[in-house]
Amino acid sequence: MRVAGFYVAGVDAGSTYTKAALVDDEGNLVATAILMTGVKIVEAARKVYAEVLRQTGVTEDRVKFLVGTGYGRYNITFGHLQVTEISCHAKGAHYLFPNTRTVLDMGGQDTKAIRINERGEVIDFCMNDKCAAGTGRFIEGAAKVLGLSLKEVGELSLKGKKPVKISSTCAVFAETETMEQLAWGNSVEDVLYGVHVSMATRSIGLLRRVGIVPELTFTGGVSQNVGMVKALEEQLNMKINTSPLTMYCGAIGAALFGLEKLRAAQEVKVKR
Amino acid sequence: MASQEAAEQRLTAEEAGLDNAKRLQGELVKSYYKWVVETKKRGGKVAYCFVMANPAELLRVFNIAPIYPEITSLQISYRGGAPPLISLSEEFGYSTDCCGYVKMGVATVLNKGQTSIGYIPPPDMAMLTYSGCQIYIHWWEQYQYLNKTPLFTVDIPYVRNYDGHVARHDIKYVAAQLEELIPKLEQFTGVRYDEEKLKEYITLSKEAWELWKRCLHMGRLKPSPLDAYFEAIYYMSAITLIRGTEECINFYKTLLQELRRRYEENIGPTPEEKFRLVFEGVPNYPFFKRFWNLFKSWNARCVASTYPKVAGIVDVDAFELNPDKPIESIAEYMIHAYCNWNMLMRTDLIRRYVKEYEADGVVIHSIKSCRSFSMGHGDIREYLIKDLDVPALHIESDHVDPRYYAEAQLKNRVDAFFEALSIRKGV
Repeated sequence: MRVAGFYVAGVDAGSTYTKAALVDDEGNLVATAILMTGVKIVEAARKVYAEVLRQTGVTEDRVKFLVGTGYGRYNITFGHLQVTEISCHAKGAHYLFPNTRTVLDMGGQDTKAIRINERGEVIDFCMNDKCAAGTGRFIEGAAKVLGLSLKEVGELSLKGKKPVKISSTCAVFAETETMEQLAWGNSVEDVLYGVHVSMATRSIGLLRRVGIVPELTFTGGVSQNVGMVKALEEQLNMKINTSPLTMYCGAIGAALFGLEKLRAAQEVKVKR
Repeated sequence: MASQEAAEQRLTAEEAGLDNAKRLQGELVKSYYKWVVETKKRGGKVAYCFVMANPAELLRVFNIAPIYPEITSLQISYRGGAPPLISLSEEFGYSTDCCGYVKMGVATVLNKGQTSIGYIPPPDMAMLTYSGCQIYIHWWEQYQYLNKTPLFTVDIPYVRNYDGHVARHDIKYVAAQLEELIPKLEQFTGVRYDEEKLKEYITLSKEAWELWKRCLHMGRLKPSPLDAYFEAIYYMSAITLIRGTEECINFYKTLLQELRRRYEENIGPTPEEKFRLVFEGVPNYPFFKRFWNLFKSWNARCVASTYPKVAGIVDVDAFELNPDKPIESIAEYMIHAYCNWNMLMRTDLIRRYVKEYEADGVVIHSIKSCRSFSMGHGDIREYLIKDLDVPALHIESDHVDPRYYAEAQLKNRVDAFFEALSIRKGV
């Protein structure tokens, strides 16, 4: 790692996980970290921030700007600025995949479809209603019934042959419905395949409202779920961008907003 | 992004003492309720009426004082009193999805008019002017059932032509029903119909409408001296409750003066005007000020909106009261109720507002339990963004039910909208 003049950080306090990203003065991503949010949002944010510093050996005084995002952004009192995760995911997705024009962010409690321009700025966005159907919670509910981890849920769904129709669009009822489908004799794999197909259908509805312009980048915690990626690609009939870093898009975008702020402030100084 | 930046030290209208019309509005509402109770005491009748498309001037001729359950409900909700009334109606059998106004209105009657904002006299009659809102019919029938009140119905045809043209026979159809209503009201109240009185009330109404229109048009100024949504909601009380009186005229004269002074002194509802918005939809009353604050904190001012026109779309001259043709002009007024307009007309009105008031974007607020107002909101949003390239935000809560208000989620959407607008405007 090169030694930069200064660093900027982004902390994304989501409903389920808190993520942090550290970016250097040239805009290179140098570290990421993740932690369960829990009830103590500030503590989780501080810990995850400390973790990126620990990984890189960067001391806190060299971090010139920290931006908070996610639902808990107003709790990140040690930051300099708060930006919504909608703007941050847009910027983060554009950073990882510069040709991104549409972003699908699937998190623990909401799903967002975002249209962006060639600079990674938000043109339009749509979010799920005040209900968790079609979000990470929906998969969590199904996983809980089956006693599986989130990772296993995605992988098992890939082995499904015929998706079972999950009619319910409610995250709470997802559990009951999963149990019922199993009781009817359907295989775990087919039920899970169905869960992912049902979620994909719902998010595609959101995506269509903002318009699907390639490339499409899939971000948020659920982007790590291989079953979800497959279900989306099958239904959209297109390749979607995702990587192990897409779950950090909010934090990365937040850090980049910090860098922009610093650069803008420096420009003002130079002009003066 | 800018929400955390220090605001400039410019005073708001409230801080500068240029916010008297709102205080006056509060007094006016109180005196209106007093007037209704007194009318009743002096032998007059109380009619339950809808805000949209009611023949207030005609009723006044028969010494009938109107009570608007929609307004009573929003007043109670604004002061935090909605939950017990909504619960009472749900215990009575109404579904959670049913219109909050209906549930609160029915519960008020079940409670014999005792409410947290004072006594609301029960109806002697129910004046059913069906215009665009399907539930109106069944709501008023519920009053008929509960209170054994007579129900007087005027059926109002929907504005079907996309260009807004209303056929002669539609106007005649409504006018004929009003002509039929006159002898029935004579019989019901024992008061003789006096056309001269009607003309007098219409003349007074007309003047108030004209002044209200001029106030609303001030949203075209840059910066706008008023918030033509959040503030206009207070200001619309007078035209709804007491039109046809001198007090109503005086209220709008005072308001116009105040707005002019605001403009001259470059003072408005927010410290500055960073964003100009058009607002569509009914507000959230239980958290009205917090809801407003989501926009205020970004120094956004609504320059035009649709909801404050539910009592009459006066700013685009959709109707014109004429004392020489009293019945016919009331009929025309009744037909042009906002929810009685077809979707294309409503959409086009929003388009016009964006253009004429030079707005940066549109906020659409849907109501969970009101389909007549929220109908087509998804399409309006799409039309604005995709066809007109106008930024639009679509959010949802409820008009009176606090259970549907999730501030963290609303704030997230509102902030993201302003973040995108800031980049677009380069501010």
